[in-house]
Amino acid sequence: MEPVSLDVTVDMDLQIWIIGTIALVLKLGAVLLFLLLMAAYLVLVERKLLGRIQVRYGPNRAGKYGLLQPFADTIKMMTKEDIVPDAADRVIFLLAPAVVAITALLMFAVIPFGPDITVYGHRVPLVVTDINVGLLFVFALSSLGVYGAALGGWSSNSKYSLLGGIRGAAQMVSYELALGLSLIPVVMEAGSFSLVDIVNAQTQLPYILLEPVAFAIFFISALAEIKRIPFDLPEAENELGAGFHTEYSGMRFGLFFLGEYVHMQVLGGLIAVFFLGGWHGPLLPGPVWLAVKIVLVCLVMIWIRGTLPRLRYDQLMNFGWKVLIPAALLNVVVTGARLLW
Amino acid sequence: MPKLTIDDREIEVAGGTKVIEAAARLGIMIPRFCYHPALGSVGACRVCAVKVLEGPVKGVQMSCMLDAADGMQVSTTDREAVEFRRYVIEWLMMNHPHDCPVCDEGGHCLLQDMTVSGGHGIRRFPGKKRTYPDQDLGPLVQHEMNRCIHCYRCTRFYQQFCGYRDLGALSIGNRTYFGRVASGRLESPFSGNLSDICPTGVFTDKPSRYFGRRWDYQRTPTICINCSLGCHAVTSVRYRQVARQEARMSAAVNGWFLCDRGRYGFFYASLPGRPRQAAVKGETTTMDEAIAHARSRLETLPPDAIAVNGSARSSLEVLAMTERAARLKGWRGPAFFADAGAAHNVKTAIARLEEGLAVSLGEIGQADFILVVGADPINEAPMLALALRQAVQKGAGILVLDPRPVCLPFGFMHVPTAPEALGAVLGRLVKKSIGPAGLDGPAARFYASLPDEPATGQEVLARAAGLLAASRRPVIVCGTGIVASALVGLAADAALLLTAAQKKAGLFYILPEANSFASGLLAPPESTTDRILKAVVDGDVKALVFVENDPFATSPDRELLERALAKVELLVVLDYLDTPVSRRAHVFLPTQTLYESGGIFINQEGRAQYSAAAFAGGAPILETGGSDHPPRVYGTGLPGADPQPAGQIMAQLAGEPMASEIGARPEYFGGSTVSELAELPDVEAFPEEGQRLSPKNLPADRFKSVLPPSSAAESDELEIILTERTFGSEDLSSYSACLETREDEPLAGLHRRDAESLGIREGDGIAIRTGNTTLEFAVRVYDNMASGVMVVPRLQRLPWQGLGKRVRRQDIRKA
Amino acid sequence: MRVDLIDKVPSGAIGTLWEGTKAIAAGFATTLKHVFRPPITEEYPEFRRVLPARTRARIVLTRDPDGGERCVACYLCSGVCPVSCISMQSAERTDGRRFAAWFRINFARCIYCGLCEEACPTSAIQLSPMFETCERDILTLVYEKEDLLVDHGGKDPDYNFYRHAGVVTAIGGKGGHIDEDPPVNVRSNMP
Repeated sequence: MEPVSLDVTVDMDLQIWIIGTIALVLKLGAVLLFLLLMAAYLVLVERKLLGRIQVRYGPNRAGKYGLLQPFADTIKMMTKEDIVPDAADRVIFLLAPAVVAITALLMFAVIPFGPDITVYGHRVPLVVTDINVGLLFVFALSSLGVYGAALGGWSSNSKYSLLGGIRGAAQMVSYELALGLSLIPVVMEAGSFSLVDIVNAQTQLPYILLEPVAFAIFFISALAEIKRIPFDLPEAENELGAGFHTEYSGMRFGLFFLGEYVHMQVLGGLIAVFFLGGWHGPLLPGPVWLAVKIVLVCLVMIWIRGTLPRLRYDQLMNFGWKVLIPAALLNVVVTGARLLW
Repeated sequence: MPKLTIDDREIEVAGGTKVIEAAARLGIMIPRFCYHPALGSVGACRVCAVKVLEGPVKGVQMSCMLDAADGMQVSTTDREAVEFRRYVIEWLMMNHPHDCPVCDEGGHCLLQDMTVSGGHGIRRFPGKKRTYPDQDLGPLVQHEMNRCIHCYRCTRFYQQFCGYRDLGALSIGNRTYFGRVASGRLESPFSGNLSDICPTGVFTDKPSRYFGRRWDYQRTPTICINCSLGCHAVTSVRYRQVARQEARMSAAVNGWFLCDRGRYGFFYASLPGRPRQAAVKGETTTMDEAIAHARSRLETLPPDAIAVNGSARSSLEVLAMTERAARLKGWRGPAFFADAGAAHNVKTAIARLEEGLAVSLGEIGQADFILVVGADPINEAPMLALALRQAVQKGAGILVLDPRPVCLPFGFMHVPTAPEALGAVLGRLVKKSIGPAGLDGPAARFYASLPDEPATGQEVLARAAGLLAASRRPVIVCGTGIVASALVGLAADAALLLTAAQKKAGLFYILPEANSFASGLLAPPESTTDRILKAVVDGDVKALVFVENDPFATSPDRELLERALAKVELLVVLDYLDTPVSRRAHVFLPTQTLYESGGIFINQEGRAQYSAAAFAGGAPILETGGSDHPPRVYGTGLPGADPQPAGQIMAQLAGEPMASEIGARPEYFGGSTVSELAELPDVEAFPEEGQRLSPKNLPADRFKSVLPPSSAAESDELEIILTERTFGSEDLSSYSACLETREDEPLAGLHRRDAESLGIREGDGIAIRTGNTTLEFAVRVYDNMASGVMVVPRLQRLPWQGLGKRVRRQDIRKA
Repeated sequence: MRVDLIDKVPSGAIGTLWEGTKAIAAGFATTLKHVFRPPITEEYPEFRRVLPARTRARIVLTRDPDGGERCVACYLCSGVCPVSCISMQSAERTDGRRFAAWFRINFARCIYCGLCEEACPTSAIQLSPMFETCERDILTLVYEKEDLLVDHGGKDPDYNFYRHAGVVTAIGGKGGHIDEDPPVNVRSNMP
């Protein structure tokens, strides 16, 4: 029998791996906690703000100022009956909400939320994962997200859901283009697809000042991307019931809901990263700055919801194809010319 | 055939048709109060005004008084006519009280409809309203004279149409009053029609007073089963309670009206004491368990030791199923008749109602001479009396040959004849009225066999023979209750003989019960209840099944019945009534009434009619709620809805697989040996006027009647004639509390000669001793009845079963 | 006549863009302004507005000025009720007065349309402003006559149907009602 050596020396690689893993888990946990909690409270903030815009209170019964409303809502959602229509395509029907929620959550993985920090002599980047094509990753997931809506709408086997799902897909295809095109100038400025690099390139000057047109196009397309007013045609309440999620109830509906609000934050984060200088900012630590910027973007989105009416379908398409895409293309040319010149 | 134009639409009508009738045929309902198709026109209410644009008399005219004329142009919508009608309604409403909310007519009130549709809303007249005192008109009709609009429909119906005089118009002018001289029960057995005929709420239905509104009732077309005529009715059900019955127009049967026995004979269906739970040896249990128990007990016995009894108050479905079950299982019966005499009378009547000879109740009104033999129309089939009266109104002569003191609401000739002499008198009369010329073959032989010696001192008969000789459409109405079997056939042969003598003769039988016709078709020839009871006493039969049959009410031999019931090992009773036999049943199985299951009934002329189910059954809310609000409970299913159609239960008892569906007719009648029934249409497609069944082959015994030997000799016995009364005799209507006060006093009728020979005077009490019981009656002495007989009303509350058929004079004593 | 709602029609792309932007900005300004206004909401359980007498909420059965039940159970309300939430059984008192032996309203079904009140010929059934009838057990929403009866005349305090109707009750015999002549003497021959 071989004698067993009790002298265990932890080699360096293993140590790095362990610390990396722990850091990753912590980061994941922090990001998830932040996103989910924020999503919950964003709902409350939205309802309160909309209420005030309409000169009423909004939810104010659960807890002081309605602060416990998100928990009440969650309990309600979780305890409600999960109804699957008889004629629904069961598997897809059950999976669709998860697609929406997961793609939204995954997108946040590439958003840096602070400068690198050092733990026990190890450098830990404050981003879940920094991939050099982070921007493409974002686009890929964003495109995948529409599958949730389209499949959910299709599998419900209801005319309203189907119409909602189709509208979602068509809208996504149209605005994805503008969304992507609007970011090319940013990439051209930063010279990288990595979001960390893009943030770092804005240490001096946020790109909103350099590329205001790109910002406008991106912001508008982002609203369409997350199906918010004035682009909420896929769930237009007054014509389609609730659009692609008409047939959903309970926590599955909750997942659609959650997905939407996480998506909102992710886009807030992306706008911060691409145009507002990411986590950069004076006095306050990086993550706080990022959070502030995300919240600000979300507040503006709520304000828009409280102000604008929904577009008509033809208006939506006209605007996307005839205004935003040409403008984005033009912007690419202009930026290119500027950079060359 | 005048051709006229009403509201620009052309119509051709028969001469003498009123404009209002012609308009109705076009679907134009001209407002009316006093006009009624059955009563004709009087022009009293002035609300049927129309404008005649072109015609003999132009201008605003009363359409009910105006004969349609060729080339006439009538406008019902002309401004002048509409205004005229509006003012008429306004002045009729001038004195009409403000009491629609508490008036039972509200909801189906002609005056209310016309007022609303005429647009009258606010009373402009500032003066006070006229009021009238009301009268108590008995238990059936409620009087509220304030509401009267003086259309005279009530008196025209009561006096002219029905021939009763105790209700009429009193006083004059603005004080005209419709009522009796003094408060009191209305005498007419058709008084209930007043509430139908009154266009407003002067006469309303008292038994259903303050129960519900027309719009809340589940109204179903049904058939009245309180006698064999099968009159058409509408049954109103509310809160699972049969609340009201009204006449349903039927040209072939009852016309527009219904007698009080039929109108108020439905109370048995919703009686609080109606048994609704199955019971085994008095312990209530579920239907399934009780049926299983009965079935297992029946299966232990040999089929020959089981006997089934039904009755003619069951629907055809029940009778057919009962017959089928007995036939397939080899049980004895079913017996649908109490004794061989009754069975034979009904079977003969059915066989002799050949096509072309049988007339409907509606056709009786067209006859010009009617010979009533052995029948008492007003008591046995009240609506027949009304039909006879219509014939009399048109000039028909009526001769009644009957031993009883028949009383009818019109003038008629009556020859009181002892039952056994009826045939001879009928034969003589027919022979006297027609000559032998033109007769050949069997008809001539039959003619020759009839007696022709003239009756002594019977100038009534001579007069009748003259009328019959002059008549072209004579009808022979023959009873089957008190007559000898031979007479039933003789009546048919007499009608055939009249036909042979170039007359359009008709034949009309009165049968004992609602579905006697079907019972007669289905009953096996030799099985009657008395034979079965004897077999029980002899020990041959060990189990008795009674299907909707109360032998205590129908069996004439109470003693035999008691002995049989004491001896029988298993007594299974299926019924919807709480009867003496159902209380003694070893296994009791509740069944559904006609109103719950629906069913086919075949009336006395062979007219099969379908009565639809009026409601789904269950105990009335009045009962479950204890006359307060319904119980505050949720639940599916109805309380007290255990009863099943008797046919279904029979099928289960017999272990037949096809039990479940009533209405699947081929299942019921397919195996039937009665070919007539196989042609019945499906219940969904039943014609409204029913379908007449007639014998497939001409009866073999045509012109073969033999006159019964008549014994005119004075005997020391009195024949007892148990006679039916309008109220109180018929089984189902005797459960109606409101009809109790309409029942006659149980008086024994005696001819003056018999009474004198017995030393009895009118009003005396007599005691009759038969066997070991003694019955007491008061006596009424008549001149217009046959001598040698004693007439005793067969009332349900009277123990007539002990009387037997004859009584010796010395057994009658003054009490 | 054609009404132009837009008083100034913008000309050209720049004009349209400018007008559009201005209009959108005005909208955003308005909503932003509202955020800082105090809400006009009346918070319900703490603040209870006094409702007008003709508010259509819980149904009551009123009494006539003499204290008798007004309802004569004429079935008009149950007949007109579009959701069939009213049921009753009429009956007769010993003095001839028609009344409801039982009267039931299922408030779980009632849609408070007020048609019953409109149909009522005796002003018996009335809708009251009492709207707080929420219950957890649905059976408690089924009201019987004793739950519905109130001891006042509601919105029509003076009317008594039986003083006008010609029927004989304890309130009045023949000719004893408002605007009635004494009963006709049928046996008189006087003109």
